[in-house]
Amino acid sequence: MATKRVLIIDDDQEILAVAQLTLQAVGGWNVITATSGDEGLNKAATEQPDAILLDVMMPDKDGIATLQELQTNPVTQSIPVILMTAKVQASDQRWFARLGVAATICKPFKAMKLHTQIAEVLGWEQ
Amino acid sequence: MRILLIEDDELIASSLAKAMTDQHYIVDIATDGQIGAELAEAYTYDLILLDVVLPKLNGISVCQRLRAQGNQTPILLLTAQDTTTSRVLGLDAGADDYVTKPFNLQELLARVRALLRRGGSTFTPLLEWRNLQLDPSTCEVTCNGQRLHLTPKEYGLLELFLRNSHRIFSCSALIDHLWSFEEPPTDETVRSHVKGLRQKLKAAGVVDDPLETIYGIGYRLKPAEGRIRRENLDGGKRKRGDRETAQSSESNVITLPDGAKTSTNQISAEIKPDADLIWKQAKESLNCRVRVVEQATTLLLQNQLDEDLRQQAEEEAHRLAGSLGMFGSDEGSQLARAIEPLFMAKRALDQTQKQHLLHLVTGLRQELQQMSSNDDVSVWLSTQPPADEYPQLLIVHTDPELAAALAAEAASRGLRSQIAATPAIAQEQLAGYRPDAVLLNLPVQHKQGRTSPALDAPALLAELNSYTPPIPAIVLTGQEQLTDRVKITRLGGRRVVPASATPSQVLEVVTQMLQHTRTAETRVMVMDDDPQVLAALQRLLEPWGMRVVTLDNPLRFLEVLEAAAPDLLVLDVEMPHVNGIELCQVVRNDSHWSGLPILFLTAHTDAETMHRVFTAGADDFVTKPVIGPELVTRILNRLERSRLLRSLAETDALTEVANRRQSTQKLTQLLNWSHQHQQSFCLAILDLDDLRRVNHQYGHAAGDQVLFQIGKLLRQTFHSEDVVGRWGGTEFVIGMAGVTREEGIERLSEVVNQVRQMEFPGAQSEPFRVTCSASIVHHDATIDDLQALYRAADGALNQAKAAGGDRVVSC
Repeated sequence: MATKRVLIIDDDQEILAVAQLTLQAVGGWNVITATSGDEGLNKAATEQPDAILLDVMMPDKDGIATLQELQTNPVTQSIPVILMTAKVQASDQRWFARLGVAATICKPFKAMKLHTQIAEVLGWEQ
Repeated sequence: MRILLIEDDELIASSLAKAMTDQHYIVDIATDGQIGAELAEAYTYDLILLDVVLPKLNGISVCQRLRAQGNQTPILLLTAQDTTTSRVLGLDAGADDYVTKPFNLQELLARVRALLRRGGSTFTPLLEWRNLQLDPSTCEVTCNGQRLHLTPKEYGLLELFLRNSHRIFSCSALIDHLWSFEEPPTDETVRSHVKGLRQKLKAAGVVDDPLETIYGIGYRLKPAEGRIRRENLDGGKRKRGDRETAQSSESNVITLPDGAKTSTNQISAEIKPDADLIWKQAKESLNCRVRVVEQATTLLLQNQLDEDLRQQAEEEAHRLAGSLGMFGSDEGSQLARAIEPLFMAKRALDQTQKQHLLHLVTGLRQELQQMSSNDDVSVWLSTQPPADEYPQLLIVHTDPELAAALAAEAASRGLRSQIAATPAIAQEQLAGYRPDAVLLNLPVQHKQGRTSPALDAPALLAELNSYTPPIPAIVLTGQEQLTDRVKITRLGGRRVVPASATPSQVLEVVTQMLQHTRTAETRVMVMDDDPQVLAALQRLLEPWGMRVVTLDNPLRFLEVLEAAAPDLLVLDVEMPHVNGIELCQVVRNDSHWSGLPILFLTAHTDAETMHRVFTAGADDFVTKPVIGPELVTRILNRLERSRLLRSLAETDALTEVANRRQSTQKLTQLLNWSHQHQQSFCLAILDLDDLRRVNHQYGHAAGDQVLFQIGKLLRQTFHSEDVVGRWGGTEFVIGMAGVTREEGIERLSEVVNQVRQMEFPGAQSEPFRVTCSASIVHHDATIDDLQALYRAADGALNQAKAAGGDRVVSC
């Protein structure tokens, strides 16, 4: 099984650092980070990760706009996207579900559990 | 563990004290009954050893006096007269056990241990916390079978925490429990003992620190959920008496593969240096974020907040909500999540909301300070589930998508949830985890579907019902037939929700039920003529979920007391016009308030004042200036004790259902609740037919046995949200909300049938049987108060009796 590569797009440096640390340590995955929607779009296209973790609330280009661009670009549209959000209103959740994402993960996540959560929703072997 | 020994024979006293001290107990000795009783009233003991024949006040009187004051400390009588009378007198006076002199020391110590167990929450002679074990009978502490060497004080601390797993102990409470009154140490000393204990436990390889520091309050034992695997134990090292703990490899929804399971702790250790570095940087940025929120709050309170900073504060609060929990502070995340909407655009806050915001932001700052002072990254690198106060919901659903939607909805209402795909998996999960409620989806059973998960549902429901208190289950089902609903209810399903309901509708039912079954908030009334003290206490107590009613004018005392109906009263001793001690007497003379816990605040701790305070009927006192942690722990402990007493006072001793006074109150509440939520409500009466015949033929003991069994059946049949009370000799009254008349009749018929099938042992004769009659009335516009309902039900009951009994009549 090839090593999984995951792209994380989030404007919060702490989230990136912790997710990168634990996903590499627990899952042995390679983690690519991006701190904005635009940087994320570039890296998604060039790096072709196995999955993208995308924060919803970001300044400038938010997660939803980023997602729509990922889906309209043929180079990135087949990469599964997991939304990360601190908003857990049911209405939001329903709206996210209709956007065609693989899953939604609620923030704050537990550092050492993140890998398992992602593997589970994507049906990856653990 | 602190023990009071009241014994006038110095020889016995000193030899007993020595034996107890060798077992690491702290012993205070009183040589007459008067001093003994006063010590027991002034200090907190875990157990009292009481001689019967004593100067000044004999043991029986001491016992009666303490019990009359509501003191529930376990009492072991030492009696020389091996006559039944003195033992019976002692036990009737409220003693828990006795030994007769000359006693065997080993037996006495074993009885002491047994009584100390009774006070705790554990029923095993071995006290355990994950891979740590303490054996009180040998005073041995082991971790993974390896013995630890603790000082007597460290041992005492550990034992106290293990025996009182939910209690928070302030330094002064620890002093109360672990030092005799002749040698009180400083708080600093206590803290250094706790530190020493922590270090030894860590060095011995105890997983995680068992003690949790509650910021500004004291210490508490962490929940021992999520037990660890004991594969590192090799059988050779294990002593006899070491018990295997039940292990469930499915104790979490998120299961790691076996390899990972054993190595996550290793991984945590490996990445610790990196995590330390991340945390160091994160601290600074979190600090800046909180500072932005603080600045914005200050300006908002002065009505000078500009749009830029408002937006920034909203964003920072959102980021904090998303990241604090990742660093192990769920509470911080919750606070930030509550702050975020208060900074939303176009939102004008009124004065109350502004105060609330200030309160939240202050809490957030404190939370961050606490996180910064505790640089232990293993907190958030641990794989243990956090143990916090948000209710836990277990969702049992075969459809992962629907389960996820329900979980998301639950999260939006502040519930934490776990998901199990089938009832069988849910049962495995229950091995290591106690949810507050279970949401169970019951798919329609097909005739051929022999392996349908629905077949496992009854076993799960039965298990949920077997816990004390039972875990409520909400059943989602497409089976709308009355017989199915009755079947579910009989199995212990509390609420039935159609499978077609939206997640939001389902969770509405869940949260309603949780609110209904969770205890209401605690009300504390504080009476002090100093407004500053009042404000300080309000700030101190409210974060603990207490509603604080303050009053500075003693002349309005009685009317406020009536209106506030507090669960606990805090009184200042010195006030103008009328002093606190007089108020305390007024309260104690009113039978309605005789059981209200009362705490005094006083600057004077001279014996004279103390004596007046306790004579007036106070339960406890706290010295001024008030030290927050001490007051909070004393209040929490006092409330815990009064709840216990109340439950004793509210239960009918013979049948263990609510007594008449209590059930009347509960029925009224339930009826009002039904009115408010437009729910149907049924009142039923169940009455044993012809108790006189039973008493006459088989004796009164047999009659009592019958009533006890019927009480037990009713407790099992009806759930904690129904009300069951005993109103008269043979008469039980039952209130059910959200139940239609047909369902009520069905449930009662079930009970009547079961009573008919019970067999009771006759003294010398064949076993005998009894029958009972029941009536049920459904509330409507014409009969909507409790009295009218009862009258109607009583009329119907007479019809049932007239028709020969053993039947259910409705009207």
